[in-house]
Amino acid sequence: MARDKSSPSTGAQTGEVESTEGFSGAISSVAANGASAASGEAAIEIKNLVKRYRNMITREWVNAVNDISLEVKQGEIFGFLGPNGAGKTTTIKALLGLIFPDSGVVKVLGQAPGNNEIKARISYLPESPYFYEHMSAKEIINFYASLFGLDPRERSKRADYLIDLVGLASAGNKPLRAFSKGMLQRVGIAQSLINDPKVLFFDEPTSGLDPIAHRDIRDLILHLRTEGRTLFLSSHQLSDVELVCDRVSILYRGKIRKMGRVDELVIGGNVEILVMGLDPTPTVTAELTALGAKLEQSGRDTLIIGKADIESKNALIDLIRRYKAQLIAVTPTRRTLEDIFIETVREGEVEAGEATKFAEASTAEALEVK
Amino acid sequence: MGTVFTLAQGTFGEAIRRKILNIFLMVALAMIGLYFAFTSFTAREDLTITLSTGLGVISLAGVFISVILGINLVPSEIEKRTIYTILSKPVRRHEFLLGKFFGGLTTVFVNIALMGIVFILLVWFKIRHPEASVWEGVLMIFFQMMLLSAVALLFSVFVSPFVNFFLTFSVYLLGSMSSVTESLATPGKDKNPITVGFFWLIHFLIPNL
Repeated sequence: MARDKSSPSTGAQTGEVESTEGFSGAISSVAANGASAASGEAAIEIKNLVKRYRNMITREWVNAVNDISLEVKQGEIFGFLGPNGAGKTTTIKALLGLIFPDSGVVKVLGQAPGNNEIKARISYLPESPYFYEHMSAKEIINFYASLFGLDPRERSKRADYLIDLVGLASAGNKPLRAFSKGMLQRVGIAQSLINDPKVLFFDEPTSGLDPIAHRDIRDLILHLRTEGRTLFLSSHQLSDVELVCDRVSILYRGKIRKMGRVDELVIGGNVEILVMGLDPTPTVTAELTALGAKLEQSGRDTLIIGKADIESKNALIDLIRRYKAQLIAVTPTRRTLEDIFIETVREGEVEAGEATKFAEASTAEALEVK
Repeated sequence: MGTVFTLAQGTFGEAIRRKILNIFLMVALAMIGLYFAFTSFTAREDLTITLSTGLGVISLAGVFISVILGINLVPSEIEKRTIYTILSKPVRRHEFLLGKFFGGLTTVFVNIALMGIVFILLVWFKIRHPEASVWEGVLMIFFQMMLLSAVALLFSVFVSPFVNFFLTFSVYLLGSMSSVTESLATPGKDKNPITVGFFWLIHFLIPNL
């Protein structure tokens, strides 16, 4: 069932690896190539998924996931983002067949999830995984491997390889109760790779990790990408998501608010135009405002922040020339995924008729200052 | 079957190390030991009292071990999210439940066997010959606990461990009073048919422990 992963091409089986040593070294060379291997076939399909829960106190039904639809191609790394309670884990559980949708269709590798044939080809890493503490890392990998029906020799070989891959070779025989959170997360990654999965579901794989472990896991995700696996990644580490994901969706209150390629989402940022000798008279300010730009004055220098599209940019440059100011620099600024995320969540909050938490916090801070 | 065995092994390994269960075992062993240490077996000493005291201690410790273990088997897996890593592998839900049940049952068996062996050896040492009824008594306690573990596991999938503790304990108490519920369920001239029906239902539903 599981492909023999002991190939030396990954370099993971060469040499002793310290327990806290990263596995990035073994894989960074391939990770650097990082190109997506997404193919046309759908690995994950969700159509109009609805999952409701009953609030035990108010007895009201709450839509944890409210009519979402998406498709993830094979070989794609898909970022599934959203604030806490947005419905990410519920969706992942539905995709794993752990919970049943109230309505809608969910398919993984073309089939309804939950049957053993599909389970043998997918894997799941939950947020902050916990394992039987009395077992060692090797024993727990053996334990999970036996659930796939691997024979003892294959299990042992696989456990050794995976423990080595995640950088726990020297701690492989220690009981898990002595492991740090980062080490447990590595064990979690190892158990998710036992069956050489085609589709992986990672729920907050880097939550609460130190920077080294964080980087290692990010590198592993990049490595998985080069192997052509499909990864459904739920994470709050937006810089990582921006780096590793091909596409993302942003979920808020059970609905997908934004979805698209990362590179397409982050374009359309601002442009910063540095000029000298522009007098910020009310007329100039009004004209800039009309063009959707704002102005920051610093001595003789003026920084104009405007929209990045060609028309707005040209209009701003025409304005600067008209007022005979000296153009020093035009720098396009790129939006980050974090900007997109916050913007989307705020839009969602406004739509839901809520005062934004961010705005509330800013107001509270402002009041305190006064 | 291999999956059930693997899950049972994992469950047993985890459960046998639970300190609270070890405490019940130690207390029971200490009580059995002390009873024998401070009881002088004379010709007048009634063996039946000794046997019922020892088996009573084993039974009580067995109940606590079975109930505390049974009520937490599935909820602890959900709380610690281990269940998700297991059920996302090729494991069917009934295999998971069976694995948990057999793992828990093995733990109960080991605990009762330990208490039973100590008790049997002490009786043998005192009366200078093996007593077959002790074996039978210990075995019956194990069968009782097997039923109780199944009841605790059944309740654990839909009520909280706290509620489950009282529910399972109630089942144990009612099951132990089976002869009482049976007599109350028997129709009679001066008995209210509704009361009789109620006790018949109780007697029918609750296993005879």
